[in-house]
Amino acid sequence: MARDEKIQGNKIAAGLTRRQLIELNACTRCGECRAWCPVYAQDEREEITAYGKLDSLRRFINGTLPEAGRKNFIEALYECSVCGQCHVVCPVRINTHELWEQARMSLVNAGIPQPEVQIKQLAAIKEFNNPFGKSQNERSYWAEAAWKAGLLKSPVPLWREQPAPVIYFAGCLASYEPELQPVAVQSARLLQEAGVDFAILGEDEPCCVSKLRRMGDSAFREEARKRVDQFTRMGIDTIVASCAGCYKGLYSDYAGLWPRAPKVVHFSQYLDQLLKESRLHFKWKTPLLTTYHDPCHLGRHNQVYDQPRRVLRSVPGVDLVEMPRNRVFSSCCGMGGGLKTVNPEIQHKMAAARVREAESTGAKAIVTPCQTCYLGLLNGAKEARSVVNIFHLNELLVRSICPEVTHESVKTALVRATP
Amino acid sequence: MVGLSLGYMAFAFFRKWLGWSRGMRESTTAPSNYRMPSMIWVAEVLLQRQLFTLSFSRWFIHILIFYGFLGLALLSAASCILRAAGYFAMSSTLPSFYLHPEGYFFIKVWGDSFGLLLLLGLVMAGMRRLALLQARQISNRMDVILLGLLLSVTLSGFVLEGLRLATMPAEITRYSYVGRLFSPPGTYALKQLQPWLTACWMLHSLLVLTLFVYLPHSKLMHSLLAPVIIFMNAAEEHKREDLYWPEMKKYRGTRSRQG
Repeated sequence: MARDEKIQGNKIAAGLTRRQLIELNACTRCGECRAWCPVYAQDEREEITAYGKLDSLRRFINGTLPEAGRKNFIEALYECSVCGQCHVVCPVRINTHELWEQARMSLVNAGIPQPEVQIKQLAAIKEFNNPFGKSQNERSYWAEAAWKAGLLKSPVPLWREQPAPVIYFAGCLASYEPELQPVAVQSARLLQEAGVDFAILGEDEPCCVSKLRRMGDSAFREEARKRVDQFTRMGIDTIVASCAGCYKGLYSDYAGLWPRAPKVVHFSQYLDQLLKESRLHFKWKTPLLTTYHDPCHLGRHNQVYDQPRRVLRSVPGVDLVEMPRNRVFSSCCGMGGGLKTVNPEIQHKMAAARVREAESTGAKAIVTPCQTCYLGLLNGAKEARSVVNIFHLNELLVRSICPEVTHESVKTALVRATP
Repeated sequence: MVGLSLGYMAFAFFRKWLGWSRGMRESTTAPSNYRMPSMIWVAEVLLQRQLFTLSFSRWFIHILIFYGFLGLALLSAASCILRAAGYFAMSSTLPSFYLHPEGYFFIKVWGDSFGLLLLLGLVMAGMRRLALLQARQISNRMDVILLGLLLSVTLSGFVLEGLRLATMPAEITRYSYVGRLFSPPGTYALKQLQPWLTACWMLHSLLVLTLFVYLPHSKLMHSLLAPVIIFMNAAEEHKREDLYWPEMKKYRGTRSRQG
């Protein structure tokens, strides 16, 4: 064994936990992960499967993986949406998604960097506080523009000017991405409809930096600590996040760093609570046969399955039919784990497969409570040339409560209001 | 030979341990309580719930191998302890009861039962790997070697028992209800079968020792590591409040590969 390979193997091993190193030997190669992996379904290479990656990583660490195998392993490690499907079907319960993220970080620390495109995105997050490299001043543009366009009942207060018990955390995507800004506007409007005393952070809203963890950036802990300190100083009671990725970041990834964390909930959970308290009132029927797409970060990673479904079922006229793969077996749309950045083609194929699965149910629309999945499924519908509609959960609620803020009307109004 | 192979196995495990200890220590976080992880351990390890919900046939085959192997291992260990106890304390009643005709049937009947479970499981696993395309696709050399080795150990064990039974009176052999099937027809004097018995014993012992040597490098490692990993991960998930315990029954048969 070459000395350099052994040294590199030791460095990689040092970045993993002992439990994770044992997990590399515990795999039975039963093949269950292969049968369920949504990436493998689109790219049938053994290295993609969880057992393939476990075997390669073990040999990499032991210094017995040949050069070509190392190249394939690194490619496969990043060609993974870290959806966690292999974890929940593994008879040995190997915590694969944690392992992939930790392995990415460990490889970087051993001198094997992420793919170039991910490095660029990570640098933007660290420099600009968002993956788009945009200014923080533009974060609350959606709120100002929506108020000016008459889409909100009142201006959305900034926390620094008017502190409130609830913070609406829009996230980078809904703050900057024109296709997703309607989600932020709709969320704010629904909170206003329910009479919630809330505020947004505006330019003080940081990126949750969960992408740093997903892509294995070792700065994650330090950056997350800064956010935790900021929130702690502010003394926030409740954070409502409308992005499933941000929710996982704030709720799960920060867990060890945030001993006195405020209540962190996903917007769909908060809506469920508001509906239980009868604070939202439906005025119009929305007759539609829908199917529900579980976001991985909300479902498999955090066990939130029922609340969004309850919200969807509560909309008058909406019927819900389940896809063959639902809840814990829900097939990933490919938007997570940095996969979309590395290999957009695979993401499109994965989402297209999901859209075709939805079509098979006879549903006319796929509904998801995650803005990232929403974007991913739009790509899928385009790829599959499907006529199935893709809706964010908010869309169905506003159609029955305040139809003036439907996706299209908000998007048009925001474009018009753009200076 | 025995000392050499057991020594090698211990050395291989020690090397594995050294490899694992290169990792960070923080992995072993104490669970907030042990009830839930323990329940999951029972369900996943002893009942193998996950396999049951994914595929009944695979669960059935694996449970046969698991309990067959575990039973034989425990019985062999118990037998060794009894022999050692008998050796060091000749008057002990427990060893003499179990190792002599009056109690030996107890060990024989359980030994044959566990052996039968293992044999059935291994034959079915082999057939499944030959018959199913998916199982064939994921099979590699290690699977074939391990399956072959386990099958050889089990079969040679039964043949050895069959030969031994051929030299014994019928009232003793009736408890070895599987071993009897491997017995040559007729009754023989010990002298007549001695060369065959020796050869068969040598072969069986050699195969068992090979299994000891191969174990740390084979996928059989999962039999030792999976119970540990299942408990540790369940404890960590429980602490992190994202423990998954899906209502699997609801989703049986929902597997759908998408192209």
